[in-house]
Amino acid sequence: MIFRVAIIVTLLVALAISTGIRFSFLLGIGVLIGYSLEKFHFGFAGPWRRLIVNRDGQGVIAQLLAIGLTAVAIQPIIAYAPGSFIGAIAPISITMIFAACMFGFSMQIILSCGSGTLVNAGSGNLTAIIALPLFCVGSFLGTWLLPFAIELTPHGVVSLTEILGVEWSVLATVISLFCLGVLVSRRSIGSVWNKKLFFAAIILATLAVLHVLVAGQPWGVVYGLGLWVAKAAQGLGWTPETAEFWTHPINASALRSSILTDITSLTSLGLIGGAAMAAWNDAEQKSLVEHSKIWIYFVVAVASLLLGVSSRLAFGCNVGALFSGIASGSLHGWVWLIAGFSGSLIGVRAKDFLWKKSSRERA
Amino acid sequence: MSRRAGILAVLSASLLIIILEWSTGTRPDPYLAPDPMALGSKSGASGAICAFVPRKNNE
Repeated sequence: MIFRVAIIVTLLVALAISTGIRFSFLLGIGVLIGYSLEKFHFGFAGPWRRLIVNRDGQGVIAQLLAIGLTAVAIQPIIAYAPGSFIGAIAPISITMIFAACMFGFSMQIILSCGSGTLVNAGSGNLTAIIALPLFCVGSFLGTWLLPFAIELTPHGVVSLTEILGVEWSVLATVISLFCLGVLVSRRSIGSVWNKKLFFAAIILATLAVLHVLVAGQPWGVVYGLGLWVAKAAQGLGWTPETAEFWTHPINASALRSSILTDITSLTSLGLIGGAAMAAWNDAEQKSLVEHSKIWIYFVVAVASLLLGVSSRLAFGCNVGALFSGIASGSLHGWVWLIAGFSGSLIGVRAKDFLWKKSSRERA
Repeated sequence: MSRRAGILAVLSASLLIIILEWSTGTRPDPYLAPDPMALGSKSGASGAICAFVPRKNNE
């Protein structure tokens, strides 16, 4: 463990010297998030599945707690320092709702969400290792489709902090999360209190708030993944001027700059590193290959592409849209939650059907 | 084969991306780096975020 910590500290110091202290902090936050998610088995796709299939709401209650704690802290921070801080405020539209539904479906097929794919890949899970590059490619493809989606359907931004004011927006967010928690506990069989997951929720909320204080914006995943592929495509001769998304000054600047100065890239790389650190000891006892049927990996590949495309069209994944969106007071986060969960209801059944078919073939 | 092989493969791929980008792309200048934290600083959010909405006329 000391050796792994020494490697991470060395990397953080090297990054601070070569790029700047803020970027080193962001990588460090990413490492801590990845470590916590892996160590405490805190996730999004898995708890949604357990709620649907096993009527176990412990993981979902922990998610709601983490979002609520983050909301209480970041909504006032963002509102009282406009300019320096921005929230994950995005529009609602038909394409956004459909995309969030598709994301919920796909994440149940591979049982990895936005953060989950990074963490699972970092912990050596073969399904996630196959999913991650295709998730990145899908996210890049989504940047091509997004301008068309915006042109085709009306997109309306609803910021609760702007409409209600900060105090009422925080109150509305917390009460809504509480009501949702009551619904989840009614659906659940057994206790919804899990000390380990609650502790993880508090750690995650603390790190999410720290992320806002350092970066000036909430935690996200998808933007960085699309950027990596855009950079690779640029290296292969693609001209960004051909894509409307990448001609915007913010995105053009991100393309020109190093990924070591891109916020979501750094936290995502940190998530992989942190998860690897947490999983290293147990990884020796676990087999790399989980499925004997090759076609299952083809299904995973298609679902991962969909995960990337849909997360771009839905203005984020379970992190950028659901977690950070709701915590920032963006109504699109709530719409994402309903659409994503609806997609998950179908995705859980589709996964069970496919995996059962795979085991029958094996037998 | 254990999952350690998977971990090593993913970490190697991540490192490769960073090295390739470092050697071919624009290198960051630490002297132009923003303040360590956005809190209390004029150099705030980059805006490169998942919720980003591309608009015409670069609004």
